[in-house]
Amino acid sequence: MHRLYLVPTLIINFVIVLVPALLTVVLAFCNWDGISTPTFSGLDNFRALFADGVFWSALTNNIIWTCIFLVVPIAMGLLAASMLLLVRRGSNFFQVVYFLPVVIATVITARVWQGMIYSPVTGLFGLLSRMGLPLANPLAQPSTALFGVATVDLWHWWGFLCVIFFAALRQVPQEHIEAARIEGANYGQMMRYVLLPAIRPTIMLMMIMTVIWSFLAFDFVYILTQGGPAFSSEVLSTLAYRHAFYDLNVGQAAAAALVISLFGLVGTFFYVRLQTQEGEQ
Amino acid sequence: MQRRTLLKTGLGLAALPLLPRLAFADDKKPVGFWYESASPENQDELKTLLVDPFNAAHPQDDLSIDFRGSDLDKQLRIAMLSGSGPDVVFTAGPSYVASMAEAGQLLPLDDYAAKLGWNDRLLPLFMELGKYDGKLYALAKTYETLGLFYNKTLFDKNGWKAPTTIAELEALADEMKGKGLVPFGSGNADWRPANEHHVSIVLNSVAGPENVYKALTGAIPWTDPSILAAIDKLDEWWQKGYFGPNYFSLTLEQAFAQVATGQAGMAPSGTWSFTNIPTYFPTNNAEAAFVGFPSTNGPPVYALGIGSTLSINAKSENADGAAAVLDYMFSDKFYSAMNSVWQGEWNLPLKDLSAVKLSDKVLPLYTEAMKNLSAAVGAGQYGYTTWTFLPPATDTYLVSGMEEVWLKKLTSKDYLKKLDDTFKQEKDAGKVPAIPKRA
Repeated sequence: MHRLYLVPTLIINFVIVLVPALLTVVLAFCNWDGISTPTFSGLDNFRALFADGVFWSALTNNIIWTCIFLVVPIAMGLLAASMLLLVRRGSNFFQVVYFLPVVIATVITARVWQGMIYSPVTGLFGLLSRMGLPLANPLAQPSTALFGVATVDLWHWWGFLCVIFFAALRQVPQEHIEAARIEGANYGQMMRYVLLPAIRPTIMLMMIMTVIWSFLAFDFVYILTQGGPAFSSEVLSTLAYRHAFYDLNVGQAAAAALVISLFGLVGTFFYVRLQTQEGEQ
Repeated sequence: MQRRTLLKTGLGLAALPLLPRLAFADDKKPVGFWYESASPENQDELKTLLVDPFNAAHPQDDLSIDFRGSDLDKQLRIAMLSGSGPDVVFTAGPSYVASMAEAGQLLPLDDYAAKLGWNDRLLPLFMELGKYDGKLYALAKTYETLGLFYNKTLFDKNGWKAPTTIAELEALADEMKGKGLVPFGSGNADWRPANEHHVSIVLNSVAGPENVYKALTGAIPWTDPSILAAIDKLDEWWQKGYFGPNYFSLTLEQAFAQVATGQAGMAPSGTWSFTNIPTYFPTNNAEAAFVGFPSTNGPPVYALGIGSTLSINAKSENADGAAAVLDYMFSDKFYSAMNSVWQGEWNLPLKDLSAVKLSDKVLPLYTEAMKNLSAAVGAGQYGYTTWTFLPPATDTYLVSGMEEVWLKKLTSKDYLKKLDDTFKQEKDAGKVPAIPKRA
């Protein structure tokens, strides 16, 4: 009888997750403009996608994005969280400050950076240029557009990791930290031999989630550059969006979405494995 | 007894949602109209100039406007697909109409056009543009053109005259560059498709509208030398720095403001930019001017664009009411009232504008430009904007691919080859909008 309690959850999962997911898989093998009746097209969407140079550059951008987010915000988060742990004074204040960008709506963060920092007319970059320090808007250069967008997302994101890591670090037994201090461990040794091993599962989890989230990156890219200039900051999700809502080629958009899901599935596999291992321990 | 009362109350409550429908069944039939995003002032104007007077004049109908924001297009497609949606259907242009008509989501308007006299009232070209497979499915809500805005005060100060040929334009642009000005105040930071304003300009002014017509109808490929020359010309302007160093950083409005401040000399843009003139020019003590974009072969070509279209939902339960709304809009009275307060979005394609009376507050420059455009279209001397006449995927590629040419990631030839391939695929799939025969 108690199994009946699962029914609402199952219905929600079926309607909201499973049906759209299966429809996406089916549509990836169909020719559909989102308006008329879909027709079966076999592997045509995948062939067209793989033959398109933009797809490969978008995939490369996703990989670069993943690498950036696996290193920079995690390193920043760990550094700041360990500081908050070791230097308790003002830690509450800094936690709020670090976390603040996370709670600001994406579109506002993006517009603030675009208008108040990067803009050559209304932004800090423009002001510095007028003062004789020429700084080009990174969003306007093909070589830097992706990094310009990633910087904004990093600013928005790293505080979240910092708070998560800080929460994990606070679970480390105080006597371990005190013992290391008494033994004369410096900051590097404390991190390497005490803190990092203690929160390894949290770091691993955040890294796996970073891989999954990186392949879903969309909002900042779409708001700041729409994938440009010249596709230089295009990622798979903006490519899929363009196919679906601008080209009216929903089939190819679904094919791109499946590729994104593939990377997500790999991440999910490792995530589930990690969770199982932790459960067993 | 208590149980019976409870049952009655329950049934009564359950029937509550049906009450409005029952009420409408007796007197008024609802007419739903989903609109895109509009400022609070514009929403008020729609209420006072469309909804209230229409409902007063049509006691049997109850028009209501639902503002759906910038996602209207996506919401509409999903609603139409599921057999629901508004009675009056607002689409982003003829290419959407073709797909929706093909899917049987729109009602043919031929009978209404004959009965309500639209054929006599609207410019014939736009009646043709709203057709799919020989039947009329859409009326153009607003039409627009591209041209050259410039800072007249700056021009007078430097003894410059508005260019009448491409050669004059280039000489002027070079002189402006020499004086440290940006020749073309333009940007695409907020609207990447702004690229196609420039592509449309060179296609019509350099390749010529006849060649564009041939390419649109498949008589010549998009790789034709005339089209290649146009794209090469646009690339040449980019490489010479006519668009300035901040094209990808500036919004359309910021770039237009630079023309008012005198940092930029000219703005190749569309008639929608008229709305920015009162904001920026008077505060900079400058006067704005607008001319047709010069062409290689003589007089300016007015490239024709349709910003959006209006249709009737095939599943509408009140198609007559929806037709009455369209009929109300396509009139001198509504044109005059709406364009007096909101220019650029309601340039309805009326055949005869002689009875139109705009408010004194409307820029004479705007009125003149619209009359010139109307006359040019009436005489068949018009060009083609890419967002109106190209199918969706070809148009999207045209926008981003041009950036690849400008940034030297692609040659003009390769760009046009890919554009041509995409166009052919969409043409074979029947996605190219109706292209009326040239006069």
